[in-house]
Amino acid sequence: MIKLNQPVLMELQADMAWIPLVQAVVEQGAPVLGLDRSKTLRLTMAVEEIVSHLARTALGTKIGFSLKPYGWHVLAEFSFRADPSHLWAMNLAAKPNLSDPNDLDHLGLLLASRMVDGFTLHLEGEVVHLALRQDCSYPVVTKIAADPIRSKGKLTIVPAPESAFIQAACVRAVNLYPARKNHTAFSMPGKVADMVAQKDMDMALVLDETSALAGMICWQALSEKGIGFFGPYVFCREEQAAALLTEHLIQRVARTKAMGLFSELATPELTTKEFESLGHFSYVQSDGQASREEVWYRHLGEDMGASVWAHPAMVSFLSAAYGRLVLMRDIRETCGFGEALPRRSVFSTQLRPELGEATLMPMVTGADAKDCVARHVDTLCRENFSNIFFKLDLAFGWQAALGGVLMENGFKPRLLLPHGGRSDLVVFQYEPA
Amino acid sequence: MAADPIWWCSSMSLLDFNRLVPAHIQSFEVYVPSKPDTEFMRLYGVDHLYRLNNNENALGPPPEVFDILQAFPPRAVPVYPNGDCFDLRNVLAEKFNKDPEQFLVGNGSCEVIASVIKAFCQEGDNIITADKTFAVYEWVAQFSGFEAKLVPLKDHAFDLDAMILAMDDRTKILFVCNPNNPTGTYWNTTTMTDFLDRVDNRALVVIDEAYCEYVEAPDFPDGLALMERYPNVIVFRTFSKMYALASLRIGYLCGALDVVNMVRRTHVVYSVNTLAQRSAAAALSNDGSFIRDTRKMVGDAKALVCPLLEELGLDFLCNQGNYLMVHLPFSDTLMYRKLMTKGIMVRTMTGFRFPNWIRVSLVQMPVMEEFCVAFQQIIQEMRPQRG
Repeated sequence: MIKLNQPVLMELQADMAWIPLVQAVVEQGAPVLGLDRSKTLRLTMAVEEIVSHLARTALGTKIGFSLKPYGWHVLAEFSFRADPSHLWAMNLAAKPNLSDPNDLDHLGLLLASRMVDGFTLHLEGEVVHLALRQDCSYPVVTKIAADPIRSKGKLTIVPAPESAFIQAACVRAVNLYPARKNHTAFSMPGKVADMVAQKDMDMALVLDETSALAGMICWQALSEKGIGFFGPYVFCREEQAAALLTEHLIQRVARTKAMGLFSELATPELTTKEFESLGHFSYVQSDGQASREEVWYRHLGEDMGASVWAHPAMVSFLSAAYGRLVLMRDIRETCGFGEALPRRSVFSTQLRPELGEATLMPMVTGADAKDCVARHVDTLCRENFSNIFFKLDLAFGWQAALGGVLMENGFKPRLLLPHGGRSDLVVFQYEPA
Repeated sequence: MAADPIWWCSSMSLLDFNRLVPAHIQSFEVYVPSKPDTEFMRLYGVDHLYRLNNNENALGPPPEVFDILQAFPPRAVPVYPNGDCFDLRNVLAEKFNKDPEQFLVGNGSCEVIASVIKAFCQEGDNIITADKTFAVYEWVAQFSGFEAKLVPLKDHAFDLDAMILAMDDRTKILFVCNPNNPTGTYWNTTTMTDFLDRVDNRALVVIDEAYCEYVEAPDFPDGLALMERYPNVIVFRTFSKMYALASLRIGYLCGALDVVNMVRRTHVVYSVNTLAQRSAAAALSNDGSFIRDTRKMVGDAKALVCPLLEELGLDFLCNQGNYLMVHLPFSDTLMYRKLMTKGIMVRTMTGFRFPNWIRVSLVQMPVMEEFCVAFQQIIQEMRPQRG
């Protein structure tokens, strides 16, 4: 499919009268940027609902709108001045009160959040930035049992593989590794190739002397200073492939601005002597069996120290983690002192239903934070999500302050990811007593 | 990256800051220098910090420089320095039997690296150096928009054949760090002249002799002598290493008159302050006993550290220069953090394409003894964890 790499930008006021115009922009524009008909219609509906919502709740506010192509997905981005807590209905666990006409005004948002593949929300001063992500459609490959190859001759790193090799590597990973060890996109090799082309993912391969695929490792920026890697995936019987890939990865990322390298999904072949253990998650697999996922870390530069925010309930966990990692941090305590908060919270949720895994992050913390966390847990548990995580970025006091609420709701701090966000990230896991 | 937008419904211009920045600048990563000692000491909870990370000469500067520093008149502060280091160039000329115009002094040798690249390279040109050497040649080329062809070291030394092979019609400068920082290896006179013969005046050859005063090997080539035979040779030297004037930032180049005349066109005058100029001239007046004492200090440190590294079964490189490198059985950045808690700072080398290596400056005995104790303790503490 030929996709134009040109964004469409517009500016309008929140008014029902402009809805047909915005609908037309998305309906006509999204296919040009790479979305198929079905995805385009869903994005059109979502965008319509956002404008309609703003016309009802913030009539006349100026809206910046753009539709931008990113290779494997299209982003519909809004910026406007409005009360961010009005966006509560985008929560996975949102439940409007049908007898409250104010709540009914927000039903459209609920619909919008379900129509797209993802959304992010952040505040810059009083301006709300809302981005709806709609992924392009790709053929899905299914697992076919396969054996590792016996490679021939010397193994060589391919630092910038071409698309066909990338897709072949994804197929091999799907065939040779369990789903929980694979990046979600591997089952859509075309998507991975587009992600690499878009620089949303990096990948390196090892080939043998006959150009047979012997292994792959891939990585993605999690933040400005944090990189998460997947692998190394070894497709041959030679142990050397994993070491080659790991060393290559470290050398590649060491000369970037990244400070931390984490295993998002480490395979058993990872050469761990290069890394420090950050600890582990307990995982409940689809068959109900428990497993442990160790997370590995490589600090890439000389640690300059930093300051982080923490709710008092998290301090002992953080002090122990920083002590173990020998990372110098000034821990500044924060918790609510009755300051005015938005009425309602908004959390983003990333779901991997096939693994029963959900990861939440706060976008707006409101006065209802405790109830909102409880509602999310309740919804997810009812939907059989057994592995529920919550990430807090310690660069932000308002996120760190949520730590106490999480711990009151059955979450325990499990891992500290240095430089995993704007600053260090703490990952909580839901572990009811 | 999305291309230019189609403006729709509005013709208002927004500042697209990134559009103004060349691609080679956008893709260049900023080098972040370390924090001041006081801040590190507070963070790591230590009452001292030994910096073994920058290859500084802890003995220095020579006593003659002390006199200059102590006698520096405050009334000289409002006055601009001499713009082209006239007096210092005369001292250098007399010492090395050259014409003063053959010297160009800069605010550290980093400035003269930039001046040379600016003078000789234009769009499409490239420079050649090693992949694991002083990184500033590569950085200046890249953020100036020129290709830096990086030739892998061979046995931890510059690979003569591969560098010659890497040359093409657009190669303007070859940078040879002799001895090499950080491996300490060097090309002897035979190798260097072989290289210069094979370059055959097709490009400039910069011989960076930042650490030459530490080398005692009789077959070490003198770049200042070689340039008489090879007019395409430019020699870099610095006062930051042996002469211990690092905080004053002063270094220089020496080349054939025609070559230096070209470089001078791109070189910012008045960049070297008065105190640095006077101190450098004073330092040159004592390169006998001071250099001898420094070499002894480095020799003693090597004699202490190398046997320990052998005993611990670690790979290390201890060649020329006031530094050595150690290959660790775990992450270099972890060793850095652990040493910092003991008040010792070393250079991690992962970012310089040596994953899990550290570079350690060699200084006075009490400090090196403290380093050895701390280092050994950490290695032993990590061994049970790592198997």
